[in-house]
Amino acid sequence: MSTFPFQDAILVAIFALVVGVTIGGALIAALSTRIIRGVSGLMLCCMGLGGLYYFLNSPFLALMEILIYVGAVCVTIVFGVMLSEPDEPAHEESRRHAVLWGGAALLVSLVILGGVAHLGLRGPWQEPAARVSDGSVQAIGLALLTTYSLPFELISIVLLVAILGALVIARSGRTKE
Amino acid sequence: MSLLTALRETVAGFKSLLTGMRITAREAAKPSITVQYPHDTLKMADRFRGHVKLVLDPVTGKSRCTSCNLCVRACPSDCLTVEGIKREGEKKKSVSEYTLDFTTCSLCGSCVEACPSDAIEYSKDYNVVSLDRAEFARMDLLKKLEAEAKVWAEKNPELAAAAAAAAAAQAAAATAKAPAAATTASAPGAGAAPVATTPAPTPAVAPVPAAGVTETRTT
Amino acid sequence: MNFLQTEPIRILLYLVGICAFVGANAAYLVLAERKGAGRIQRRPGPNEAGFGGLLQPLADGIKLLAKQVMVPPGTDALLFRAAPLLVMAPPLMCLAMIPFSDSITARSLNVGLLFVFSFGSINVMALMLGGWASRNKFAIISSARVVSQNVAYEIPMLLVVITLLMVTGTMDLNEIIQQQGGGFWKWNLFKVWVNPLMPVTFVIFFICMLAETNRAPFDMAEAESELVAGAFTEYGGMGFGVFFMAEYANIVVGCSLATVLFLGGWQSPIGVLSGGLWGAGWFLLKLYALIFTVIWIRWTFPRTQFYSLLNLSWKILIPISLFTLLLTGAMMKLPVVYNHFF
Repeated sequence: MSTFPFQDAILVAIFALVVGVTIGGALIAALSTRIIRGVSGLMLCCMGLGGLYYFLNSPFLALMEILIYVGAVCVTIVFGVMLSEPDEPAHEESRRHAVLWGGAALLVSLVILGGVAHLGLRGPWQEPAARVSDGSVQAIGLALLTTYSLPFELISIVLLVAILGALVIARSGRTKE
Repeated sequence: MSLLTALRETVAGFKSLLTGMRITAREAAKPSITVQYPHDTLKMADRFRGHVKLVLDPVTGKSRCTSCNLCVRACPSDCLTVEGIKREGEKKKSVSEYTLDFTTCSLCGSCVEACPSDAIEYSKDYNVVSLDRAEFARMDLLKKLEAEAKVWAEKNPELAAAAAAAAAAQAAAATAKAPAAATTASAPGAGAAPVATTPAPTPAVAPVPAAGVTETRTT
Repeated sequence: MNFLQTEPIRILLYLVGICAFVGANAAYLVLAERKGAGRIQRRPGPNEAGFGGLLQPLADGIKLLAKQVMVPPGTDALLFRAAPLLVMAPPLMCLAMIPFSDSITARSLNVGLLFVFSFGSINVMALMLGGWASRNKFAIISSARVVSQNVAYEIPMLLVVITLLMVTGTMDLNEIIQQQGGGFWKWNLFKVWVNPLMPVTFVIFFICMLAETNRAPFDMAEAESELVAGAFTEYGGMGFGVFFMAEYANIVVGCSLATVLFLGGWQSPIGVLSGGLWGAGWFLLKLYALIFTVIWIRWTFPRTQFYSLLNLSWKILIPISLFTLLLTGAMMKLPVVYNHFF
């Protein structure tokens, strides 16, 4: 690795690419009117996130991000969509509802953004240069079942929610007819 | 015990899959049975009914057709045309034109049934292809027979030579007769007709230009 | 030589090498498939182009390249164009992880196994997007089938792999192979003292691999007798060609993974002549033996029904693989427990 020319420039370029993919994917996911494109955007965003994890010296997490979020969650969402909705732009909601929900969403996202920003700016940052574990199966298993058992369980709740969401969308699609 | 039966079924099913694979493996080891069509062709069975063709007499190398027109009459779709000529020195008429309109022929075989001299049969040819409709509307069976005769002559040179000798002798006899008829000198058997075949009893209907070929059209 | 060993050149060489390997395999496996089908049906297969049909892939390739790539009106043009790219990329990425020999690996990661599986899972998404973007009813039915089939078979496959991980204790593919050195009885396939059901896990892995790559008898995605061409119905020319090549590239990835995990990768089956180019030779031999079996299976069995396909996964493969997982865990930990108490 040490013999690579323009190493720094290439690293910066890849980092920029990864960040761009993450943000771009998120924008597509949020702004697209076609739900299938939204899911594709989400997929891109997750791939970018995987890249960010890789930059944080955690290839295991990066790959897990791709395996679970792209390979499982996105596919499940798409499956739900496929069982329910035709691939057409969503019908217009009433303006007052839109404003109400938009405002609520804005408020929630602002609160979360504030919280994350607060943590990020004030929190003690560790140097990511040193890898916490060597990435072996044993180390990962120990970390998952002792130190990080709570986040590990929470992830399974995310999956559960994804499955439930897919089911709900599918059911509403069925009852409409 | 339903677990046990399920397991047993799974194992039995897997075994049946292996049996299937063994069968295909065994088939794969055998030689292939297909014919590489444009390069090789199948020999058709004797009962195959292609279009009608003239039979090549394996002794004389010629058609046996006497242009009796029975086949023309037997044909329900009127697709045969037969012309015959009277050759000097022969007892019967012989065919000079035999065309089949394959566009209307229904391969019923009535002509083959009707033929008294076994002169036509079903062809085994299934590669009848042409870019020209006329090839089918006027299928010249005599020409095909001539092509066949050429192959026959190459294969049986001694028979062909004998047939050619016979034909030459006949022609010689005819030409010997023709000038005799022209000069009205009634010399019966002047040339002594060395070959004993067909003394050609009927006199020539019309005097023939001296071309050696003594043919007269009858129909 | 020194120049060749610099990192950028190495990366470039491997990139070109992998692309060439995938391309050549995709082209010639199609021919091998057609030849194999011919043999099993007792005919010679394509034999007109070139000597014995060896130029047939070239002819097919030129034909596909010369065709117009149509984007039918009414499709989601962006996703329609993106799907072939997405379907081809994962197998190329995965092959970077596969060790062809002890020294021939494009990139060695200590989570190589996970890498292969995570990128392998994108494949489903790509097929599904292609089918959905086509806006064709056959393609959409095919997409739904692809997704439910792949989700159903991912579970037993991952369970089997977890069983294997418990045995190996590492996700580094090269290390997994090194553990299996010294003769064929040390391959994971025959490690019956670790788990008496090890051959069964291999069979499950192989079946799941067939289902994940949408191969017959699980080729519900392009069931041509029911769904025209499945998810690729609307694709023509090289768009279709890329999907077709990706299928074979995925078979190569799946079979090389099975070779690495169960058949000892580049290890020699007799204990000698291992490593270096010999290793690559052994690896390719095992790989192509497996690929040949895949072709053999395709031309032996008819396509399964969709319900029996899912039943096979949920009622047979998942219970058995769960059982092997438990059995392996028990067999590994029982001696520890025994030593602890007695």
